[in-house]
Amino acid sequence: MNELEDIKLKALLQQMKLDSPEPNFSVRVMNKIFEENSVLERIKSEKVLGRGFWIILILFVILLAAIFIIYNSGAQPESQLQTLLPEVNSGVTEGYKSIFNKMGTVPLSIAGILIASSVLLFIDRFISSNTKIFA
Amino acid sequence: MEQKDDIYYIEKVKEGQTNYFSYIVEKYQDIVFSIALKVLRNREDAEEMAQESFIKAYKSLHTFKGNAKFSTWLYRITYNSCISEVRKKKIHFASTDEIEIKDETEELNLDGIPEENRARVIKEALSKLPEEEYTLVILYYFEEQSIEEISKVTKLSESNTKVKLYRARKKLYSILNEMMKDELYTIL
Repeated sequence: MNELEDIKLKALLQQMKLDSPEPNFSVRVMNKIFEENSVLERIKSEKVLGRGFWIILILFVILLAAIFIIYNSGAQPESQLQTLLPEVNSGVTEGYKSIFNKMGTVPLSIAGILIASSVLLFIDRFISSNTKIFA
Repeated sequence: MEQKDDIYYIEKVKEGQTNYFSYIVEKYQDIVFSIALKVLRNREDAEEMAQESFIKAYKSLHTFKGNAKFSTWLYRITYNSCISEVRKKKIHFASTDEIEIKDETEELNLDGIPEENRARVIKEALSKLPEEEYTLVILYYFEEQSIEEISKVTKLSESNTKVKLYRARKKLYSILNEMMKDELYTIL
């Protein structure tokens, strides 16, 4: 192939005006980028745990504190239970007692915390997704 | 120098000054759009794809290490996005065999094209090339990319790129010859 013609072709092609997009193309691209950036920033700044979670957590802590106070005040939960629900089968309560004794308190506490956390997170998500109802 | 400029603006964008990316968009919008238009054959789709290519490039800017030219990296994103879109939409590619390559094309004399018509004739001839060959010619002649860089964009081997570029060049000459004959015929 003629090298000179090739050089000429190159020069010609470089003079050629390529097709251009619409005049505001770069503005649109930048707007889209800024838009996506702001969405990303919003997601980043969004709290993982919402206000609902903290309200429920406080209620949960109050409940635990209440149970602790009841325990320390001398009133035994078992006797309280029997007073409140006299018809509860004593056999069933005995069964529960033996199960809890066998399991020990530490794993039970961990399981309790995990279950409670899961429930709290679930409730929080539910409240967050239904903000109009809970507003 | 050009690459140095790009690196400067890219670093600024990486530092969080997103505004600097508009320089990149302004600089490369025509070539990115032209490649997209050639492959997708529709202005709206091409604009959308060009926009998407720039956004993709912006989002992956942190992965650009500067080992290759930024333009090569950007064209690869554009070309791959367009090819994926074509495959998704199952657009038929023009066969490269549709244009006959004649032996006499080797004797093309570009001076035969009146100067005022040259740009138009060349553009018209280019538009008749199939998308892959168009991209090769544009990258090689217009963008002065090396064979190695072009092979990175098109994912062809270097030897294959050379062969295809040679064929594309011959085909372009062939088209130009035909056009020149037609123009001459019209004048006569």
